[in-house]
Amino acid sequence: MNCEWRQKAVLFADDELGHAEQEEVSAHVSRCAECASTVTGQMELKKAVRIAGHRFTAPAGLRANVLAGIPAKPRRRSLWQWVLVPATLLVLAALAFFLLLPQRHNESLLAELVDQHVTTLASQNPVDVISTDHHTVKPWFQGKLPFSFNLPELAGSQFVLLGGKMVYVEQRPGAELLYEIRKHRISIFIFQSRSDDKPVVRPDHPLAFTVETWKQSGLQFSLVTDVSPDDAHRLKSMFEDANKS
Amino acid sequence: MSGLNSKDFEALALPLLDPLYNFARWLCSDPGEAQDLVQETFAKALKNFASFQQGSNFRAWMFTILRNTFLTSRTGLERRNTTQEDEEEFEDLVAGVENPETILIRRADVELVQEAIAKLPPNFRDVLLLADMEEMRYQEIADVLGVPIGTVMSRLARARKQVRECIVVTLGVKQ
Repeated sequence: MNCEWRQKAVLFADDELGHAEQEEVSAHVSRCAECASTVTGQMELKKAVRIAGHRFTAPAGLRANVLAGIPAKPRRRSLWQWVLVPATLLVLAALAFFLLLPQRHNESLLAELVDQHVTTLASQNPVDVISTDHHTVKPWFQGKLPFSFNLPELAGSQFVLLGGKMVYVEQRPGAELLYEIRKHRISIFIFQSRSDDKPVVRPDHPLAFTVETWKQSGLQFSLVTDVSPDDAHRLKSMFEDANKS
Repeated sequence: MSGLNSKDFEALALPLLDPLYNFARWLCSDPGEAQDLVQETFAKALKNFASFQQGSNFRAWMFTILRNTFLTSRTGLERRNTTQEDEEEFEDLVAGVENPETILIRRADVELVQEAIAKLPPNFRDVLLLADMEEMRYQEIADVLGVPIGTVMSRLARARKQVRECIVVTLGVKQ
């Protein structure tokens, strides 16, 4: 048992030789009984170990546990994920909070004015001062409001003044003037502007009423109605003309 | 960054669950410990998947993690402290195989071979299982175990010699 090819025969059986050497040893093994016996013996042992070695199968529970540990979505545990992403989200959330808060506030103000208009329409006493004459209505507010305003001259238009009343929205006193055109009613709300007032933003969803808002001469005007936008705009223009400083 | 994600990991790693568990059971005979070892291996591999180089040997990578994890476990530490190895050259170890031995190995049943493998010193058993059960190349085994390729060859030769002797002795006594 001293063939000089013995080591190579072992490597040959393990397929660890290069192609040329493999061919060379194969040729030798075919004519050397000693090396043929070594190769055959090693192949038999390899086969026996391969069969015997596969002894254990992973329990079903282990597969489930391992699968549970693999996230469904790709994940990368990097600095980006752990630090920058939460930080960015925090900054975005803070920005959204501060930017959207006034908008939400103004949306709710708008909704409150619409509610006020609907309440007026449903009321048996929609106005406290009943008059078609703006020279009667405007003085009624004197002493009740800390500001004054002008009402437009309606002569030559289809608008009719029905009257007015005091309203309180967000703890602010204001005037509500009620007008009518072709049996449709229009509320005009007038409040004192505040320095911290933000522009009134319309909500994303469509409104059942036409709403116009504008600022003029330190006053905040809001118009709520179910008339056509053209008529609404016309009355708005008349108010703007009347309150030019 | 390799650009691989957890779906890629699942596709590559799940087929290795059985081989890894099997090898883990040979490393630590306790089934619960073997399960923990495999789970920890998968967790570590997933965590470090970004560092895995696409195109390199994923199977060897997983076995490396498994074995390194095992060596840091209590059983693994005990084994490291008790295992001693004689340094012998591969050339001195390679013995020819007589035909009668081969005949006995053919007759050996699975349990007997398993018993012979179980009796091996752990370092020899690892190499034998990776070479003949997992059919890894010498270089892959060297990478997994973190030893020189010459050590792989000598351990493999000694493991085979001991298994063969164990079978021959057992069957010879029976005869």
